[in-house]
This record gives sequence, C-alpha cells and structure tokens, in this order.
Amino acid sequence: MELTLANHSSYPRIGDDAEEQLLRRTIAQRERGEKTDADVRAAEDSLAELAVGEQIDAGLDVVTDGLVRWYDPISHLAGKLGGVRIAGLLRFFDTNFYFRQPAVYAKIERTRPLVVEEFLFAQRKSSRPVKVVLTGPYTLARLSIEEEGRTNGGGGFNRLFDGYTAALAEEVAALVQAGATSIQIDEPSLARYPDDSPQVGRSLAALAARKGAAELTLAVYFGDASPLWDALQKLPVDVLSLDFTYSPGLLERVQKGSAKKLALGLVDGRNTKLEDAGAVAKQLERIGRASGLARASLTPSCGLEYLPRDRAGLKLRHLATIKKTFLGSVA
Amino acid sequence: MSREKLRQLKIDLPLFPTTSVGSFPKPDYLLKARAEFAKHQITGQELEEVERQATEFWIRKQEELGVDVLVDGEMYRGDMVAYFAEKLPGFEEGGLVRSYGNRYYHKPIITGKVGWRGPVTVEWWKYTQGLTSRPVKGMLTGPYTLMDWSFNEHYPDRRATCLALAGVVRKEVEALLQAGAKIIQIDEPASSVRPEELPLMVEAMHAVTDGLGAYFISHLCYGAFETIYPGMLDLPVDNFDMEFSNSGLDMLDLFRKHRYTKDISFGVVDVHTHLVEEESVVAERLRRGLEVLPKEAVWVDPDCGLKTRTVDEAIGKMRALVSVAKAFRNQPAVHSA
Repeated sequence: MELTLANHSSYPRIGDDAEEQLLRRTIAQRERGEKTDADVRAAEDSLAELAVGEQIDAGLDVVTDGLVRWYDPISHLAGKLGGVRIAGLLRFFDTNFYFRQPAVYAKIERTRPLVVEEFLFAQRKSSRPVKVVLTGPYTLARLSIEEEGRTNGGGGFNRLFDGYTAALAEEVAALVQAGATSIQIDEPSLARYPDDSPQVGRSLAALAARKGAAELTLAVYFGDASPLWDALQKLPVDVLSLDFTYSPGLLERVQKGSAKKLALGLVDGRNTKLEDAGAVAKQLERIGRASGLARASLTPSCGLEYLPRDRAGLKLRHLATIKKTFLGSVA
Repeated sequence: MSREKLRQLKIDLPLFPTTSVGSFPKPDYLLKARAEFAKHQITGQELEEVERQATEFWIRKQEELGVDVLVDGEMYRGDMVAYFAEKLPGFEEGGLVRSYGNRYYHKPIITGKVGWRGPVTVEWWKYTQGLTSRPVKGMLTGPYTLMDWSFNEHYPDRRATCLALAGVVRKEVEALLQAGAKIIQIDEPASSVRPEELPLMVEAMHAVTDGLGAYFISHLCYGAFETIYPGMLDLPVDNFDMEFSNSGLDMLDLFRKHRYTKDISFGVVDVHTHLVEEESVVAERLRRGLEVLPKEAVWVDPDCGLKTRTVDEAIGKMRALVSVAKAFRNQPAVHSA
C-alpha cells in the first residue's frame, strides 16, 4: 500500500516563543486600539506561512494553512454569510474549545468568498499541495440556531441545512476556479446523528457537482464512524477521512475493503502521548494486506489545534517515523 | 430541599442568596506583579503579598455590594485546572492551547500517578475566611474536569484517570472541612462533553463527597445539558451553579419537561460580554427562572467566573444582580413555581 502523509486540518496558532505568539499579541493590541485590522491580517499571514513551513519540514505530502485565521470552525464560515449573525459561546463537541453559535435570521446567502484568499495565500507559500478545509453544511446547521420571528420564514433545521449547502457549493466552485485540487468537508456532527447520512449525501452531492476535477474528502471525527461505514461508502465523495480514536470497531471494518480512498486518522490528535510507531505500522500493514487498498494517507485523527504547538509538531514528525517503520516492515 | 441542610450547618442565608462563581478579574497591580514574577524580578513571597492585597480588595468589595456567600476571587490562580496540576504530583505543565477566540491556557499533562501531598487551597481559604464574617466558599475543580482537561500519558483510560483524581479531590475536601469550610464548590464544567460518561462523573463525585458534611455546589457551564438532563440530577451535590444568560435561558425548557429537584445558582448576568446588564434585564431573567423554579431553591449569581471582565465590569454586574435579588426578596408576591 502506497502511503502519503497529510495534515488533517488545523494547526496551533500559538506557541511558547515570541514569534509564535505574534497573532495573539496583535489581536490583543487591536482590542486596545494599538493595532489595525491590517496588522492582524499580516500576523495571520505570518502564522499561516509558519504553519505551512512546519508541515513541509515534518515531511508531509499534503498540507493545510493550519486554519490559523479561524476564530473557530463554525463562526469563521457562517459569520461571513448573509442572513447569519454570530451569538453566544458553546462547547465544540467534547473538546475544551468553544465556538460562537450562528443565529440565522434571514435567508443564508454567500455574498463574498469565505476562504479563497486563505487558500491562495497558503498555496503561494507551499511547495506541496494545499488541502482546503470547510466545515460542512450539516455540522454548520446542527450547531446554528434559527431566530424566531425573523424574515427567514422559519423552516427549522432543513432550511438552515439547505442554505448552508447552497452557500458552500458556491464556495467549492470558487475554490476550484482559484486552483484548489483538494477540498475537505468536515462533518463531525454526522457521527452523532448517523441516521442523517442520506441527507448528508444529498448535501455532498450538491458540493460534488461543483468540484470539477478536485478531490473531495469527507472528514468524520469526534465520534464512532464504524456504525456509519456502509453509508459512508455510498456518499458522493472521493476520500473518507476517519478518526480511529473513538472507534474500536473501525479498524476491522476498514480491513474489509473500501470503495473510497481513505485518510487514516490513526494518530491521536487530541492527546500528547506519541503512539508506538511499530504498533501503528502494524495496523497499516493489516489494513493494506486485508483491504487490498493500493494507496491511503496517514493523518492525525482530527485537527491539531487541541495540542500545544510543540506537541503538534512532534505528532506531525511522528507520521514520518510511522511511515518509515511501515515501509521497513513491508519491504 | 437543601435549606434544611444549610440550617443544620448553621448557615443562615436570605431568600435568593447572592454569590459568584469563583474568579474575579485581577487588578492591574496584580497583573504587573505576576508579570514581574514571571521575569524573576520579584520573589514568590512578594507576589503572594500582592495576591493577598487583591484578595482583600475583592472581599471588601463583595461585602460592600452585599453579596451573601463570598469567594476569594482566585487571585492566586491562573487556570482552574492548571492551578491544581501545578500543585499535585503526577502532572506536568503542558504548552498553551486555545480555549476560545484569542484566549489560551496551559493544558496539563498527566505523566505519572496522581497524588495529594497536602492541602492546596486550605491556606487561601483560611486567609479569606479570616477577612470576613460572611461564609466563604471552598472552591475546587472536580475530578472529571481535571481528567478531561488534561492530556493523559500515564493511565490506561479515562475511567482510571478520573477515579484516581477523585481520591485526590476528596482529600482536599476533607482538609477544607477540617479547616472549617461548610460550603464547598466542586466545578465540573466538562460535565456534558461525553454524555455516555455521566455515570462515571456521578461515581467520581460520590467518591469525593459521600459521608462528608458540607453543602456541596457544582458549577457547570457552556455545555449541551440537554444530553445529560435529568440524569445529571443524580450527581451527589446540593446545588448546581449554572449559566443561563449566555444561552438565552434555554435550560428552563428542560426544567419544564422534567422537574428540577436541587438548589440552583442561577446565572443572571453574561460573563462573555463587556456590557453591564441593566437591572431590568437581570430581573426579567430571574422572573423567568421563577416561573419554573421554587424561590426557596434559587441562588443568584453570574453565569461563570468573571475573570475575563474588567474590574469595573465585574463590579457592575455583581451590583446589578445583588440589587435585583434584594428587590425580589422584598416582593411578598414574587411569582414562583
């Protein structure tokens, strides 16, 4: 099995030294009126370039911009859409990280690009392909509220879901137009509501229709994906990105083969402990042998923003160690 | 109803007792001292003197405002988990991770067997209680949250980690009781992260509180409580301190569907906005709460710790809630469930 190494999505935007604290410092200075929005954008650029460089140095084949500009995975996208205002804080799944909840008060409309400029910047700074990450319409809708008595006419969850789907389909088209070749749709909520996979399938079909030749990945994490396995195989995406840390049965399912390419989240993106490289290499070997897959990618189980920066860097470099062990064992 | 327990403990509180969750903003002089200490420009003893000065400031301020059950304001703490991790064997300090927006904290790493070498918070509690005749809460972070908000490189799983930490927290509770504390708050803001683990959290809290004679409060906030309610009522504490304002009072709908059976510290001001609420806004929140909750069960406080607000904002929010609570006490016909 040919193995590539990829980042999942986010990368810490703060570390222990002064350079790594630039963005935090600049945002705090802007709040005090000492810096401007342009200063913050420059700090974000600097951090994004640093994140891309560290991923390349770690030996990754596919990188992201680390999502270092994102306030959180929900409001960064929803907050740029028409018809949405950003409200109070809520916990992001089972992490100790909080997002601001979108409150939808009118028809959801994409009135400007969401992450196209972010992609273009990262691609300019990277010698490797850059994967674009978008939080998916289903998760955005699940984590939004609909404000009553507004002009959206009600309609509940489905109206929000359809609105986000239409907006993100436009964004996918714009990203492809801008040169993106790899787009990942994050749907962590799907693991919590597996019965909704047909709805998610229809939404992904709308996105896939606008993706052109780009590779579309669906990432499911922060929950057990094994009960979803058969449904995932039918979804209109090219790659499935899976979190193995919640799914004791997932390894067995994967070994039975997959109609989709797989991104294997075998390295825990939520804990500092480094996996036994030999044990993960053996898992890869078993997957390769039993599934007959010709190629797969090895990734962290989720974004790395939940780790301190030094540990996130170690995890990425550990991917390369695991690959080396794997290649040694199958040689 | 836990009024009887309060009476047994000889704690005399009015209707709608006022309190705060735990932290207050650190005054500028303390922030300066902490920065100087970090640069090794002052000693630990010099920093502690400033921390005591700031603690006394907040005690006097709470008394002046008319708060009924006081807190020390956590002038000597940074983060609610990291503080304990720094004091307990088995932990190492981890690097910074993001909490939200531009806020970060040092997330500890469990690298060995956790233990308790001696009291962590007791001297601060004794110092603070010595400044006032009003009751001061002992304040601890619960075992489930200590587990969930730490990285684990030692224990085989979350259950083993949580129960080991429960033994440590119980020792600290016992030490606070021995020192004279009667109201002890054990914060579990991670409580709803994995609903399937609610039985573990309940088991751990039993390990902490069973057989101990105190009025126990547990602070929970910013979670998907619909996933653990009403099961969370099995937690062996007397009072849940909960955020209501930031979430638009949505927990009240759950209480309508399934009766709430404990005392409650009802969050009537939002700690995530710089805006100091008008008293009319605070009163409306409390009034809506009393549509569902019996008035004898309701304490009044902010949603969460006020440490992220300015000193003036924190005082303004506390002033508003105390004023509203007093006004409600004096309304003989306060509507109540």
